[in-house]
Amino acid sequence: MIEMQNVSFSYPDSADGGLKNINLTIPDEQCVLLCGRSGCGKTTLTRLINGLIPQFFAGELTGKVLLDGENLFDLPMYRIAEKVGSVFQNPRTQFFNVDTDSEIAFGMENEAVPQEQMGQRVVETAKALRIENLLGRNIFALSGGEKQKIAFASVYAMNPQIYLLDEPSSNLDMAAIHDLRAHLRLIKSQGKTIVVAEHRLYYLMDVADRIVYLDNGHIAGDWTPEQFRLLSTEKRQSMGLRALDLQDEKPICAAVPKQPPVLELQNVSLAYKKQPVLRNLSLQAAPGDIIAIVGHNGAGKTTFSRALCGLHKETSGSYLWNGNPQKPKERMKSSYMVMQDVNYQLFAESVEAECTFGIKHPDATLAETTLKELGLAPFRARHPNTLSGGQKQRLAAATSMVCGKDLLVFDEPTSGLDFDSMVRLAALIQRLSKLGKIIFIVTHDYEFVCRTCKRVLHLDDGRIQDNLPVTEESIPMIKEIFDVRRTK
Amino acid sequence: MKLHLDPRTKLFLILLCVLSAMFAPNLYFQFALVTLIGLLAAFSGKWQYALRGMIAYALICVFTVWCMGVLTGTWRTMLIAFLGLVHKVYACGMLAGLVISTTKVGEFLSAMAHLHIPKKLTIPIAVMLRYLPTIREDWHYIKDAMRLRDASPTPWGFLKAPAMTINCIYVPLLTAASKTADELSIASVTRGIENPKPRTCLVKIQMRSADFLTMVFFAAFLAAEIVWKAVGI
Repeated sequence: MIEMQNVSFSYPDSADGGLKNINLTIPDEQCVLLCGRSGCGKTTLTRLINGLIPQFFAGELTGKVLLDGENLFDLPMYRIAEKVGSVFQNPRTQFFNVDTDSEIAFGMENEAVPQEQMGQRVVETAKALRIENLLGRNIFALSGGEKQKIAFASVYAMNPQIYLLDEPSSNLDMAAIHDLRAHLRLIKSQGKTIVVAEHRLYYLMDVADRIVYLDNGHIAGDWTPEQFRLLSTEKRQSMGLRALDLQDEKPICAAVPKQPPVLELQNVSLAYKKQPVLRNLSLQAAPGDIIAIVGHNGAGKTTFSRALCGLHKETSGSYLWNGNPQKPKERMKSSYMVMQDVNYQLFAESVEAECTFGIKHPDATLAETTLKELGLAPFRARHPNTLSGGQKQRLAAATSMVCGKDLLVFDEPTSGLDFDSMVRLAALIQRLSKLGKIIFIVTHDYEFVCRTCKRVLHLDDGRIQDNLPVTEESIPMIKEIFDVRRTK
Repeated sequence: MKLHLDPRTKLFLILLCVLSAMFAPNLYFQFALVTLIGLLAAFSGKWQYALRGMIAYALICVFTVWCMGVLTGTWRTMLIAFLGLVHKVYACGMLAGLVISTTKVGEFLSAMAHLHIPKKLTIPIAVMLRYLPTIREDWHYIKDAMRLRDASPTPWGFLKAPAMTINCIYVPLLTAASKTADELSIASVTRGIENPKPRTCLVKIQMRSADFLTMVFFAAFLAAEIVWKAVGI
């Protein structure tokens, strides 16, 4: 049992993410979903349960957290780790070993489980989670979803009483989310206590016993799933929460007058390390097009989007712009990619300098209007690193506009975004579309596609399987592509 | 059958390698040392690494001989001083690369626990070992990001605009590094890495005859160098 008594916490240099006067009791075997906007304090709450606060993150802390009656702040991290297992958001930085077996055993090694027992437990774990195919593999070669499964397995092998998951689905595709839900059901059937902080709610609606809503550091709602479902859509959206049931999502993107296409791909084939990835792609796109690129992990979405930007070398076929063939160098000049981790592409010391960074004769007025246009003008003197995730994305988009790019690729832009940020991102993309940019979005996010995209390009088995308009009529097929049915 | 050495052996080999590189009487011995490490890499199943390392070193040797024979004046002094340094560290760097790529973090931690080295020392090293491969992943993203901003991530680009190139590489790398290090540490402490109990290991940590044999080889090489030097005087 976890008991929080009058807990308040604030981080030393940030107003966001603090908690005020939290009183919360989580009995054994309960599955609690923590939700709320970005910065509402749900991650902070999980950190109080696994001991990262106060032992890893210092700050101003009052109140008490009891774990089975023991004061959690007095326990060393390794004692807490025996009872509370944590799974985090980023699959890239959660593993410590290079091979999967060692990684699954890592927690047990720390607990000094005897070797024979450990080997057996690794096999048992793989069997229970149905990941036998991942044993004996190099983790660096796994997909994000597979890495996340190994992270979960490593915690499962330690057999803790409490599982803590902080936005575990952020980097997962639909199939991996489906598996994650199956894993949660399994530990639930074993009588474990589960605490999940999430933005994506739909996959947890039939797992959670209780939904706790945080707003600005306070508990602003505490419901059973039945009560929670009764909230109206407007109410839910005003609370900054994302869809509960993807079945209900419908396209809301307004149709636009058709323009003649400017980008044309003819018989484009792509290979990665000499292995063919995609064959004979043909495609047209007009200014203002917003095209979702979807498909399983490994279907070639990344390779395809890098090739569009001229970054991928192993490609054949022609890329035409206004009928003229474009070399990779020229594509690089006219296109831009907003990466999933935007931090890689922000170089300058202020928002303003970022816009004109690396341009020989920057157009100051264009930079100024762009910053205004994208609502970044108030932050012009700030360091890019101090912006929020959504603001960084907007800044990256702003730089692309100042550089005069006509084609934009967004790589998984909604991972870890709450409802408000997603709506803002959708608005940003609509605006870019109105300016006549061609926009491609690599995504797994059905709700976002409904809201934003005009077309869905489905890649699988080395070719374009579908190229569908996002309209009422094609929704059943798009649902199938996104595997929406299975989440019901 | 791949050679799989105990982490303690590897540490000892690094020590021997540093001494061997230091005592090497001439280029032949340096090259022999690199060949020895190449053989070790090949036996450990990393024959590509071995081949690449040896070919690169052979080229450096040829270049050195050419410099000594042809060049005169300032260029000669400058290059010889620089190459001297390269020769001293090359073998150690190659061995270190091999050790890092063949040692599992869990194995390393358990071996260190056997040697009674305090966790305060070993945990940061383990985090660092794990961090190194992520730099390569980061580098791919950074290269893409630079190309899209019209900055060239190549040596040529560096010569054309050194300040900007450095800026483009180190700003994102630093941002990523602090975040990655934090997240890795969190992932390890929440799984009890600080537990004072004597750590166990999924892979059996044991000194085998291959360990002793390898150490004898490297020690013999060092001894040969010292004898050569003594006789040479």
